[in-house]
Amino acid sequence: MKKYFLSLLLLLSLHGMAQEVGLRPRRAWYLPDHLKLQFAGNIGFLSGGPGYVSRNKTLETDLLFGFLPQKYGGDALVTTTLKTTYSPWRIGLRDSYYIRPFSIGAYLSYTFGPQFDTKWPSYYPSGYYWWATAIRPGAYIGGKAGRNVVLNNRRRSFELYYELGTYDLLIISYVQNKSFLKLPDIVSLSLGVKFGFD
Amino acid sequence: MLRWPRLGLSLGLAFLLTSCDDLFQYNPNEETLLDRDKDLTAKNIARISQLPVSDTTRFILMGDTQRWYDECEDFVRSANQQKNISFVLHAGDISDFGLTQEFKWVNEIMTRLKYPYVTVIGNHDIVANGSATYRKMFGPLNYAFSFGRDRFIFVNTNSREYAFDGSVPDIAWLKAQLADNPGHQNTIVVGHVPPFDADFDKNLEKPYTDALASDPTVKFSLYGHQHRFYEGQFYDDGVNYHLTTSMGARGYMVVSTWEGGYHVERVNF
Repeated sequence: MKKYFLSLLLLLSLHGMAQEVGLRPRRAWYLPDHLKLQFAGNIGFLSGGPGYVSRNKTLETDLLFGFLPQKYGGDALVTTTLKTTYSPWRIGLRDSYYIRPFSIGAYLSYTFGPQFDTKWPSYYPSGYYWWATAIRPGAYIGGKAGRNVVLNNRRRSFELYYELGTYDLLIISYVQNKSFLKLPDIVSLSLGVKFGFD
Repeated sequence: MLRWPRLGLSLGLAFLLTSCDDLFQYNPNEETLLDRDKDLTAKNIARISQLPVSDTTRFILMGDTQRWYDECEDFVRSANQQKNISFVLHAGDISDFGLTQEFKWVNEIMTRLKYPYVTVIGNHDIVANGSATYRKMFGPLNYAFSFGRDRFIFVNTNSREYAFDGSVPDIAWLKAQLADNPGHQNTIVVGHVPPFDADFDKNLEKPYTDALASDPTVKFSLYGHQHRFYEGQFYDDGVNYHLTTSMGARGYMVVSTWEGGYHVERVNF
């Protein structure tokens, strides 16, 4: 028993040492790896929230809470979004700057409101409308630029990103109307910042 | 020397922001409209009221543009070839998903018509924020206007969208409009869902058709929704019901009315 206890102590102290030299992050596994704030992109005027990143830093998954004020949207809308972005390449630059030139991702958004449905009410025959008005799947490509910094002796990163995205209902409209609709008609721009706790 | 690229950048950004009002989108169900896209019903009725009146009024009935933009462009080309048309009636289902973006696209196409156009709301136009957008972009869901010898009454007949709660179509409003006809003009009632369709409130079918039949100025009534040409005197009450087909089926109707008569012609494009 004592032996186990000692090895546990040893492990803990090793863990503590590792933290001091900055080899492992001090944060618990469930704490988010970053926070994002995004402008536009069909998930709110502004949306923000926590996210996680894969160990090799190429895959980010975010949970964003978005709000569209009536002033900018004609209707005040609240949206939650789960999005995943894959940015396979990193190009390091001087002064700890870097760019990730290409990102591709997808999202699923849910907009709250009694006028939106996930399941159509029973007074519609089944399949009367085939899409759910509350849930929108979408996809985007983009890129980002960032910088690693040290704040209060902790490694942090700042990133700016842009995304060009669209969603299911616009894609099907485009596919069936390639004469009237051009790709820019269904694509919109979003911009965002990411603050990473590396 | 450094200033020029910066000026170029800001000019470029300004151009992007002003020329492309859809560059940033905040929600599929946002209701953002430019002023030129608002109150289209009132604006187009004002245009119609300026048109010369002759013995015969000719207008086009078309509908169900929902997600058929390419076909709708072809419709506009065909409609612009027609002679002596005063205006176009859109029988509803302007949009497919009730999205403001769709209403804007259809309006962009329809404004290439040589004629003003007015609309009646369809069931797809009520989905999600659709009816709110329709109100802002076009106007009231029930309305009427007169031109020459004819009086047009546009009525929301999309009962299913209101869970068949008895409020749609608004029979009391319809009766009041029918009664408000001191000049005994021909009355033409325009709706999206015809009264014999499963999407029309069964409890209101008889009050609705009786209201039309009991008014001697009502000879015919116009609809869309079923994506087919269809017509008949379905209630044996002297009122003819005419359905125009969808843009997907590439057809529309040319209607001529004169004192004591009317004629409906089907056109395929």
